[in-house]
Amino acid sequence: MSSIRVNPYPMPDLLAAIEQLQQQQSTATLELATGSSINKPSDNPAGAAEVARINDLSTQVDSFQHSISSISGQFSTADSTLSSVVTALQRAISLGVEGATGTLSDTDRADIADELTGIQSQLVSLANTSYQGSYIFAGTANTQPFVLDPTQASGVRYVGNTGTNSVTIGAGYQLQVNVPGSQLFDGPGGDMFLAINDLITSLKNNTGISAAVTEVGNAFSYVTGQRVFYGNALNQTQSQQTYLNTESLGLSQQLNTVAGADVATVSSQLVSDQTALTGALDAIGRIPQTSLFDYLK
Amino acid sequence: MSSLFGALSIATGALGAEQGAMDATTNNVANANTPGYSRLRPVLTESDPVVIGSVTYGEGVTLDQLQSVRDPILQLRIQQETQQQGQLNAFVSEMQQAQVQFTSSSSDISSQISNLFTSLNQLSTDPTNISLRQGLLTAAGNLATVFNNTSHSLTQQQSNIDLNVSQAVQQVNTLTTQIATLNTHISQLQGVGQDASAFEDQRDVLIGQLSGLIDVSSIKSDDGLTLTTSNGTALVVGGQSFNLSTQTNGSGFQDIYAQGVDITSKVTSGQLGGLIQARDEAIPGLVSNLDTLASGLANALNAANAQGFDLNGNPGGNIFTPPSASGQGYAANMAVQMTDPSLIAASSDGSQGSNGNVAVLAAVQNQNVAGGQTPADYYSNIVFNVGNDVSNGSAELSSSQLILNQLQDQQGSISGVNLDEEASNMVQYQRAYDAAANVVTTINDMLYTVINMGTLTG
Repeated sequence: MSSIRVNPYPMPDLLAAIEQLQQQQSTATLELATGSSINKPSDNPAGAAEVARINDLSTQVDSFQHSISSISGQFSTADSTLSSVVTALQRAISLGVEGATGTLSDTDRADIADELTGIQSQLVSLANTSYQGSYIFAGTANTQPFVLDPTQASGVRYVGNTGTNSVTIGAGYQLQVNVPGSQLFDGPGGDMFLAINDLITSLKNNTGISAAVTEVGNAFSYVTGQRVFYGNALNQTQSQQTYLNTESLGLSQQLNTVAGADVATVSSQLVSDQTALTGALDAIGRIPQTSLFDYLK
Repeated sequence: MSSLFGALSIATGALGAEQGAMDATTNNVANANTPGYSRLRPVLTESDPVVIGSVTYGEGVTLDQLQSVRDPILQLRIQQETQQQGQLNAFVSEMQQAQVQFTSSSSDISSQISNLFTSLNQLSTDPTNISLRQGLLTAAGNLATVFNNTSHSLTQQQSNIDLNVSQAVQQVNTLTTQIATLNTHISQLQGVGQDASAFEDQRDVLIGQLSGLIDVSSIKSDDGLTLTTSNGTALVVGGQSFNLSTQTNGSGFQDIYAQGVDITSKVTSGQLGGLIQARDEAIPGLVSNLDTLASGLANALNAANAQGFDLNGNPGGNIFTPPSASGQGYAANMAVQMTDPSLIAASSDGSQGSNGNVAVLAAVQNQNVAGGQTPADYYSNIVFNVGNDVSNGSAELSSSQLILNQLQDQQGSISGVNLDEEASNMVQYQRAYDAAANVVTTINDMLYTVINMGTLTG
């Protein structure tokens, strides 16, 4: 016999082919169902490692955004509080200018002094503003920062500290989130509480009122200057928020590039697998059911 | 010697030979679907002629033997490929189970590490907030739990593999005993010059099964077949088999012993090879990676916490139970030691509202705390390695399967029974038998003529 014998048992080959096609189909179906080409590390080991890193970065970005929304509330509260402080100081200046007018009686000046005492209480209350249970002008102390104390020249004592906190709002980007009350209201440019107290005293004694008004004016300028910190901080968080949104989008695009299912390719793969599977099944159906034995009579 | 009786004996011999050939065909057809069966081929030879004077008289046909058609070299290649396939199959299937632990999900180790640092970032926005502090401890607890669970699952899998090792060793012993018995039969039959092909077929099937379990080398010698593992440990020598045994080692797993010698690390192919590779190398490697990561994180976070002050103004204590110096076994036992959220050392200067030390704690995320890498990078490398093991193994398995299919195809084309061929052989033998029978009838007629010669003349 010179011709090459062929393997008379084609079944194992065909079954192996069918098994492989079914495996491919199941992988493709899973990919379409999950929308991801990496459903287990072995699908693409380097890609799976990349996915883990991207997810980590993505969670970090989310976390920075969460931090920004937390501190933004604090910034807004601080900014509007300082706005009220500035308004109160403006009113104090007008009252001081009015009190300096020589035509006023002692009673009129006493009334003005009373109103100023009211403003003083308002300022103390504003300086003790808290946000979600924390005093925002206490430095890093966890106590009400300004207490009334008649023994002090300003009538108010600062019991907070000079600490500042920073919050990370980007990779390596730390933003200072507070200015201690001692710096805000009692800086080198002017001591707000002392200025108000001096004005009240000068009105009561009818002496040195103009100088005291100037002192309040200085305090007003100083606090206005300090307020810029919170305005800036709000701006910085907003621009960082925009940047983080872009980064988050970039990361999700990157994730899609690495692990996204290529729906078009996978779908057509699924169809061609189906065709091949039909072919293989057909081939099994066509394995000759007869042999020469059937034709021997 | 030319005589009618001589011719009759030639024709009768032909009848016997064709009958024998028909036997081979019958046996082939009967075993067309028997696994491992090698088709038989009748070997017919011309009988030695007789020379009388100047004439050489043919003496008919002899059926020498029914030869089993097989290719021993191909058989050997199939055994080797079966060993390779057994090893890859066992290894890949174990690692596929292991990689499930590292499949990306919202509760995997990577996510829980990220969650811990997210909690830290949140705490930095309001460091005195007790619920945020509690949130951090919860995140730390979740991280410890996912390390515990992952490590336990892997160890559990090791134990399951260990059971498979014991079972595979028993199967090896059963097979070697059967092969030794067949060896005895075969040498007995061959000793008296008889055909042992049926037993050889059976032995080939058993050696094929044995190859799926362990690395086997076979040597044929005068006293039969010797089977050894690739490092030379005897499994079967002629009619004697040598059982493998198992002994519990220091890790609580079964080591494989052959005649008192530990051969565990020498078994490199077959199912046992794959199981041992997964049990003793790959999975312990993963567990050890987890230990490095878990202990690295715990040490770094504990150290960072110690740099700050808690809500009571005291220096920070341990967040996690401290790992041993080597960190071995830490992932399985990682636990949060801190129960009071006020003890988290957020403050860098002792003032309650300070968050200065939260940044120190959070910085651990970008520090090389595990194997010279950041936690996220180290973890992603574990994912890569486990994925790569499975993906490479699967690719090798596919190509090994392809090679094996081709070899089996080849073997089928040599030894397989083709029914068309058998039918045509049958017709051929039948016709030859018919012809020989006709010759007998004709000679009978001739003899009749000879016997009645006297009657006619008398």
